[in-house]
Amino acid sequence: MITMLEACGLRKTFTLHNQNGVVLNVLDHVDLDLAAGEMVVLKGPSGAGKSTLLRILYGNYKPVAGAVRLRHDGEMVDIVGARTSRVLDIRRRTLSFVSQFLRVIPRVATLDIVKDQMLTRGIGDAEATERAAAMLTRLNLPEQMWGLAPATFSGGEQQRVNIARSFVAPTPLLLLDEPTASLDPVNRDVVVELIETTRKAGSAMVGIFHDDAVSSRIATRVMQLSPRKAV
Amino acid sequence: MTPASQHDPDYNYAYLDEATKRMLRRCLLKAIAIPGYQVPFASREMPLARGWGTGGIQITAAIIGPADTLKVIDQGADDTTNAVSIRHFFARVTAVATTEETTKASLIQTRHRIPEEPLRDGQILVYQVPLPEPLRKLIPSESETRKIHAWAEYGPIYVRLYEDIAQYGHVTSTYSHPILVNDRYIASPTPIPKFDNPKMHMSPALQLFGAGREKRLYAIPPYTKVKSLDFEDYPFALQRWDEPCALCGSTSSYLDEVIINDANERMFVCSDTHYCETRRAEGHEGPQLAKAQSVRLTGCAP
Amino acid sequence: MIEEAPLLRAQNVTRLYGGRVGCRDISFSLWPGEVLGVVGESGSGKTTLLRSLAGFEPPDEGAIHFRHGTEEHDIYALDEASRRAMMRTEWGMVHQNPRDGLRLDVSAGGNIGESLMARGDRHYGKMRARITDWLQRVEIDSSRIDDSPQSFSGGMQQRLQIARVLVAEPRLVFMDEPTGGLDVSVQARLLDLLRVLVRDLHLAAIIVTHDLAVARLLTDRLIVMKDGHIIEEGLTDQILDDPHHAYTQLLTSAVLSA
Ligand SMILES: Nc1ncnc2c1ncn2[C@@H]1O[C@H](COP(=O)(O)OP(=O)(O)O)[C@@H](O)[C@H]1O
Ligand SMILES: Nc1ncnc2c1ncn2[C@@H]1O[C@H](COP(=O)(O)OP(=O)(O)O)[C@@H](O)[C@H]1O
Ligand SMILES: [Mg+2]
Ligand SMILES: [Mg+2]
Ligand SMILES: [Zn+2]
Repeated sequence: MITMLEACGLRKTFTLHNQNGVVLNVLDHVDLDLAAGEMVVLKGPSGAGKSTLLRILYGNYKPVAGAVRLRHDGEMVDIVGARTSRVLDIRRRTLSFVSQFLRVIPRVATLDIVKDQMLTRGIGDAEATERAAAMLTRLNLPEQMWGLAPATFSGGEQQRVNIARSFVAPTPLLLLDEPTASLDPVNRDVVVELIETTRKAGSAMVGIFHDDAVSSRIATRVMQLSPRKAV
Repeated sequence: MTPASQHDPDYNYAYLDEATKRMLRRCLLKAIAIPGYQVPFASREMPLARGWGTGGIQITAAIIGPADTLKVIDQGADDTTNAVSIRHFFARVTAVATTEETTKASLIQTRHRIPEEPLRDGQILVYQVPLPEPLRKLIPSESETRKIHAWAEYGPIYVRLYEDIAQYGHVTSTYSHPILVNDRYIASPTPIPKFDNPKMHMSPALQLFGAGREKRLYAIPPYTKVKSLDFEDYPFALQRWDEPCALCGSTSSYLDEVIINDANERMFVCSDTHYCETRRAEGHEGPQLAKAQSVRLTGCAP
Repeated sequence: MIEEAPLLRAQNVTRLYGGRVGCRDISFSLWPGEVLGVVGESGSGKTTLLRSLAGFEPPDEGAIHFRHGTEEHDIYALDEASRRAMMRTEWGMVHQNPRDGLRLDVSAGGNIGESLMARGDRHYGKMRARITDWLQRVEIDSSRIDDSPQSFSGGMQQRLQIARVLVAEPRLVFMDEPTGGLDVSVQARLLDLLRVLVRDLHLAAIIVTHDLAVARLLTDRLIVMKDGHIIEEGLTDQILDDPHHAYTQLLTSAVLSA
């Protein structure tokens, strides 16, 4: 069993300076270990801190205490204290975050969005194009859409573009925040299948799924979070 | 030759006072020490309007001595009003010998030309310069052009050549084509035709440049490298004429186009009048010499 | 891929205008290929800092170190000629107003060509080819090569300025509000262009902006400035999504509600 990620003693508060300095106590003493080929599903009511935990693992939120170490280039590295360029390198090659929102530069075409990460990682243009096209087809995004920027697409279509770009050349670690949220059953099944294949190929994942049926289909382990009170 | 026995006692020798001449000589020494570098100097009033070559005249005044033989040319000619009055001026205030013969002169003051006859060791050529700053058209600020010279950041001046080629297919300048002196400073070779540029390169004569209105002087010491700016694939090229000098038949001199009658008939003749005359005296004959003599264009003016 | 030594190091950079603070005690490092954003409200000292970093104005206190090969140079300790040489070859500046970074009386091609001639290129034909290539890269029709930039739109002028800077192949580019005066749609196009160029050329960049959307799209790391000093610094998405300082929280919420 290869450990891909270990988080321990995570604590997270938010101090809302412009709302009378209210302090939200969101996570305390959270530990998580993750091995290659695992899918840990985070559970708990809305506001329990599931997204917050995922974002800490990604280096997007800064924990007040605790450490997040993950396997990058065969070594366990601390993402919390790492220099920016290190974090970006980790995100480029090792760790990705898939949310239900697509965040891109407005006028970039769908195909280019899906190719972008591959190009950044040095995959040649021809191969990147071929793989992007195959992935978009698999996600039922017709070829007429590839040349268009996704700004005008429906929520579900944008979400599939987002999934396509994340799974076309998946990283060894994936963090999924409700990636299936607004998909129709057919496409949801495609995505679930995609996640399963990727995990079996060895990627380690932590995910949040509002749909219990989906959770139980893909989880190899469940982690429960309970909400904390403001102080 | 017009030898004079004594200079006009109402003026100091060579018109300028001794302190001014010393100041000018110091500036000239600095200019010679830094070939192509523009040295500021305190320009004096001369009995000529600025723009009429007062910079060159001040240099000549500062360096001329009793042993000198002076030649003055304007656009190559010894006999224009301007050349004649400057020659008379120095004859009066210095009593030096004057000449029209390039080889006999020790000091040649010029506006807009370099004589056709090659200069030799020991001669000094003094140029009257209207605009000493080759970068001025591109960069109006004096403090900025000084920095550009100091750091040899000469990209912008090549932009002028680039724009010419882009617009006209070749470099259009026929006068004042900028030069790089001694691989270091870019200078303006006064409005001499670019035909004369190659004569500056490794010239045995000392070349001095004075701009009176702009209060700058600069120098090219003898045997100094002078390169006319160009691109590798658009090398510096001289103007050429399809016909020889109408009077002396020369095919290697710089020709001026002159209109010879009311019917707008034209001919091309040497701009260096002394050179042309010398060749004719040696028996060379151009295709239209007879015709020119009939309209009295041969230099033997009344 | 990660290079281990910083390209640029600012050390306690302070610039005062009389009694007034331009910027104060600014320290940070920039690594090769990294894109750093400097955000903050108008008057917070962003332009002052950028001008000091780019070699235009020496700081009153502190130092700026630039790495050239394996050696670090204190850029204001260098003689002016060497500093100017570095400014020409190692980094470039994209001004907010393209008129400050272009020669308007010189053709578009001449503007790009000047950067090449400044570094010693003397072959017209080869320069023409490079200029044409760069016009295409910044999405200006190459048939406009001999046109005056005065006939260009604001967005085109800005793209021309970018070509003029990037053709010299700098390792670092400074940009002061590069999309400032442009329409939103023109901005988006320019941002995408910059993003691609920065990635393809492996450029390091310092981009001053007051637009957090621009910062999010283009930068890896952010410095938040207020009253001339750094309030908060970190990974761009961390600063924007999990701001710690009261001022940054205000800044980010203002954008969200806008
Ligand atoms: N960037 C933030 N700034 C302030 N509060 C936040 C931020 N992100 C999350 N929170 C708060 O943290 C708590 C947990 O939110 P979240 O992690 O999104 O929960 P979940 O994903 O479990 O629904 C909520 O009270 C939320 O408002
Ligand atoms: N040349 C100057 N002379 C005097 N004060 C200046 C000068 N330039 C900037 N300042 C002052 O320095 C502060 C920072 O200005 P600046 O760097 O332009 O901020 P920003 O680019 O963030 O808007 C402001 O208070 C400004 O008024
Ligand atoms: Mg959530
Ligand atoms: Mg500013
Ligand atoms: Zn002749």
